[in-house]
Amino acid sequence: MRRAILLFTAIAIASVAEAQLPFLSKRGPAQPVVQGIDALRADFAAQSGGTTVYFGNDSSILGVPARTMLTAQAAWLRRHPEVVVRVEGYGDTGDTRDHALAVGAKRAEEARAYLVLLGVPAAQVSTSSWGKERPGLGRAITVLVR
Amino acid sequence: MMNRLILSALLLGAATAAQAQQSATPAATVIAVPPLTSPDEGTKGNQMLAVGFQISQLIETDLKQTSELMPLPSRRDDYYSYPEVTAPSLYKWRTAHAKALLMGFVRSRSDGRLTVGCYVYDVEKGRELARKGFVIGPNDWRRAAHKCSGLAYTAITGAPGIFDSRIAYVAESGIGDARSRRVAMMDSDGYGHRYLTAGDTMVLTPRISPNGSQLAYVSFAEGKPSVRLADLDTNQQRPLVAGDAITFAPRYSTDGRRIVFSMMQGANSDIYVIGATGGIPQRLTTSPGVDTDPSFSPDGSKIVFESDRSGSQQLYVMNADGTGQRRISFGGGWYASPEWSPDGGMIAFTRRGQDGRRIGVVKPDGTGERVLTSGPSDEGASWAPSSRELLFQRVAATGRTALYRITLDGSEPRPITIPQDGSDPDWSGVMD
Repeated sequence: MRRAILLFTAIAIASVAEAQLPFLSKRGPAQPVVQGIDALRADFAAQSGGTTVYFGNDSSILGVPARTMLTAQAAWLRRHPEVVVRVEGYGDTGDTRDHALAVGAKRAEEARAYLVLLGVPAAQVSTSSWGKERPGLGRAITVLVR
Repeated sequence: MMNRLILSALLLGAATAAQAQQSATPAATVIAVPPLTSPDEGTKGNQMLAVGFQISQLIETDLKQTSELMPLPSRRDDYYSYPEVTAPSLYKWRTAHAKALLMGFVRSRSDGRLTVGCYVYDVEKGRELARKGFVIGPNDWRRAAHKCSGLAYTAITGAPGIFDSRIAYVAESGIGDARSRRVAMMDSDGYGHRYLTAGDTMVLTPRISPNGSQLAYVSFAEGKPSVRLADLDTNQQRPLVAGDAITFAPRYSTDGRRIVFSMMQGANSDIYVIGATGGIPQRLTTSPGVDTDPSFSPDGSKIVFESDRSGSQQLYVMNADGTGQRRISFGGGWYASPEWSPDGGMIAFTRRGQDGRRIGVVKPDGTGERVLTSGPSDEGASWAPSSRELLFQRVAATGRTALYRITLDGSEPRPITIPQDGSDPDWSGVMD
């Protein structure tokens, strides 16, 4: 019974996610449309499966889900060489201030290095860290700057 | 009858408690602080006497906050003449059971400023312990009082006073992404509170330079953390290092000539040192882990820092040129954010464990570790100039962040009064 509820919830969440982005999944990379930054951001998130990768506590090692998402992000970035992104890393909540800054920076750098490894020009990706100074810890977000 | 009995029992109880309190601080030296006198005459003389009374009242307030000195109330009718400043009649203060005496004068100058002189006497031995004179602006009587307080405190305890020092911190308001943070600064008694940044940019870890002329802090103005230096007189700002590297965790050397800090290179955080007026950063650590939070020993020969090179954050000490790195923390748990005490004898740290973050102290050789606070969300310890007290930040269960001070003798932390939430405290040295 519990399992059934869980499954149902999962389906519900999945369908909500789909409902939010109905047209984007149809938009292929081949369409040379002039896009605003918001549309680009939405397209990037949809094509990559998301903008955020997650890390284990006090770790900056990229897991399989993270690598999968970064692979998709890299593919999109190679198709949009004019777009500049910044990977923003976050630390962990129980950490001290400066160590959290460094861990956030490390996470951002690991994500960036993986994007560059997959052929994204290094100049296209910068990094930053929010340490533990903003809500939403344990992650790195790829933010489209322009 | 019954009521009376209870009352007397209560009184007795109160008396015992008072006695117990007194015996808990047997070393407290009773010091008399009669109002400062003036050699000036007429209206001017009365003005100077008024300033002198204000000064002695503030000295009384300053010294009351210490555990070592116990000032007698500063009373206006304890007037003495100008010649008595250098030839005091100690008999009066002996009968008042004072062990020490602080006297002084205020004299107006032709340029509008004031000359203040302070003299500290040993009442029992009948000799002068210290004297100091200085010239201040007409509205700077508070600084004069703090300087006299420091003179008395140092003469009697041998430790630097904390009175003429400043506290910088990050003032916080709002919630979530909208939380605004400003660098704020005030005198150590809370007076003269002011904001140094606007609040539209996130800021962290302000550090006051030893002579109080400059401030190093981390700003997110360029979209990423980087250390900036602000001149406190002109408010001119510049980045600590050129380029767009992530830099953080700045701290001045005691002589103010060098700044140690962390810089990211790729995924690696190492410790660097640079001249406070500029130059090329010199790299001091090369480990692939996170090396950060460096702090100079007061003689400038060594640096304590934290590193997770062993797999967890621990404290290390190295020579100021980066050689001789060795771990000093072995107590279990994680150790972070060390700061070397101004007298060189201790290192304050934040210890992370299952029970949260707590503030503690340890000797530079790694022995004598003591955890001082109960946590669970304490961090950012900063030494008072006296090396007998620490400032730190504590996040309450409600999420509010406040500043506290705690003495090394194991008493309870006391909150610092600030207008809003605060974090990242930094207690300056004594201003010259």
